[in-house]
Amino acid sequence: MSAEVVLRTVNLGKQYKKRWAVQNVNLEIHRGDVFGFLGPNGAGKSTTIRMILSLITPTDGSVELFRHQLSTEREAALAKVAGIVEKPDFYLYLTAYRNMQIAGAMTLGKKPSRTMIMDNLQLVGLAGRAFDRVKTFSHGMKQRLGIAQALLCEPELIVLDEPTNGLDPQGMKEVRDLIVRLSREHKMTVFLSSHLLNEVEQVATHMAIINKGKLVAQGSVEDLLHSKLHNVKISVLPAKKSLAILKKLKTVKDAALDGDSISALINNADIPKVVRMLAAAQCKIYSITPQRSLEEYFLSVTEEN
Amino acid sequence: MMNLVYYELFKTYAKWRTYIGFIAVAVIIPLIMWGMHLQSGHNFVQHQLSSLQSDFLITGNLFNGWSISQIIMNSLWVHVPFLISLVAGDQLAGEATAGTFRLILIRPVSRTRILVSKYIATLFYTASLLVVIAALSLGLGLIIFGSGDLLAVDRDMLTILPEAHLWSRFLLAYSLAIWSMWVVASLAFLFSSFVENAIGPIIATMTVVVALLIISNLPVESFESIKPYLFTTYQDVWQQAFKEPMDWSHIAKSCSVLGAYSAVFYSMTWYIFKKKDILS
Repeated sequence: MSAEVVLRTVNLGKQYKKRWAVQNVNLEIHRGDVFGFLGPNGAGKSTTIRMILSLITPTDGSVELFRHQLSTEREAALAKVAGIVEKPDFYLYLTAYRNMQIAGAMTLGKKPSRTMIMDNLQLVGLAGRAFDRVKTFSHGMKQRLGIAQALLCEPELIVLDEPTNGLDPQGMKEVRDLIVRLSREHKMTVFLSSHLLNEVEQVATHMAIINKGKLVAQGSVEDLLHSKLHNVKISVLPAKKSLAILKKLKTVKDAALDGDSISALINNADIPKVVRMLAAAQCKIYSITPQRSLEEYFLSVTEEN
Repeated sequence: MMNLVYYELFKTYAKWRTYIGFIAVAVIIPLIMWGMHLQSGHNFVQHQLSSLQSDFLITGNLFNGWSISQIIMNSLWVHVPFLISLVAGDQLAGEATAGTFRLILIRPVSRTRILVSKYIATLFYTASLLVVIAALSLGLGLIIFGSGDLLAVDRDMLTILPEAHLWSRFLLAYSLAIWSMWVVASLAFLFSSFVENAIGPIIATMTVVVALLIISNLPVESFESIKPYLFTTYQDVWQQAFKEPMDWSHIAKSCSVLGAYSAVFYSMTWYIFKKKDILS
């Protein structure tokens, strides 16, 4: 039995004058997923996220969160959702603690307890700066405070739009680690939009790719990356003999020498057959390494569209 | 709802710009009084009464704290609207500038409730500014210039109001002034919903207030037909508190028109805010 659908968009679209920024986007995110939402700059990621979080009214389609229609049951739909859109924003003239209080009061309907606020600040390593004004915080600290603020309402779905934008490598790693912790330890569903492919590759279990406002792929990262021909690197001796064998196989494309190895495009399912053929010809296989990365996949589907 | 209003008030009063109005008032009112004290304000009264002194014997302290406070109330025409628009014009535009709409509008709270809490905070600020003006002008005025009857100057008559009735008259005058200034606050609040920078609403509000004030007060025949439809025509309602007898029907009509304007401005803001896409 598949997990509960926490977010579903049906034919979601937004039109500005005559141009569709997003069109017919159908997403389905299940409880526990870390869902990577990929797309080049200007593809419609932020517009989609803003429609999901009710910052933008869709021109077409609908958003359903935890089985509540966003358009008609906004408060119930957003009750278990938190998000950071593009960058976390704060009342810079207030302290981190006060900012947490305001966000908490708006979500919980009551003043959040001091313990609750301090625990969340502790989680992101900002407890020591709780009573400093946010205007004195670095970008990375603001990003972490944004996450602490989002977690205050104990959300079951957290929507993060480009969460590592503008962070240094250390900050990016901290945020990525935090996302993994939220998913594993706090059992949160994470919707993560990014144009950084390695970021999504490292943390996501499922993903969708949007290009020019339209969804071009959706599924588990594993399935998507293995659904087409893989670029594999085969370390085999003798290389030239092996290359001649591979070139004869219809299931192998673009086989070529690559230094002492061979690179070729092979469907995942055909790899055992290739190994058998080479072994039967007395070739010594040392390794077969898939070279296909998310970047490669991303470029292939966005270029196709 | 109370929580939302509390935090809106907290945000409003935590901002530096909110205190510009209070600081301006705290500087200007003592300055006016100091100037009047040096110049001997009695000259002012003598100038007002010059045409009457040949026919009447006027005794007592007519230039007192009450009269100076009444003079200061004339700042309600332009100065106070400016100070109000500084804060009211920032209520929505300020959130857009800071990007904090992205923080508050994704919460499970309806936009209507958020808007209502902001509007209440705006009205509260407006009222608090006028209370400070009243307290400072009356308090300092009575300390420096003493008490006495109030010489109320109208267009076609002079009225001397006895000291015993002045607390209630000033209470009424400032209450009417707050009601009147809420229209200006609502207008700035409306303009604030259009844009993402507070400067625009401030300039737009002052442009409208000044332009309409000119039209309302210019004795030009072609403007007479539109004057009844301008809110500025009714903004002098507080002056009724210093007339004898007070024209209650005029007060009721003015308050109704001003209230209707506030309601219309708020409704327009609500409509715009509900439909607003947060793109920044």
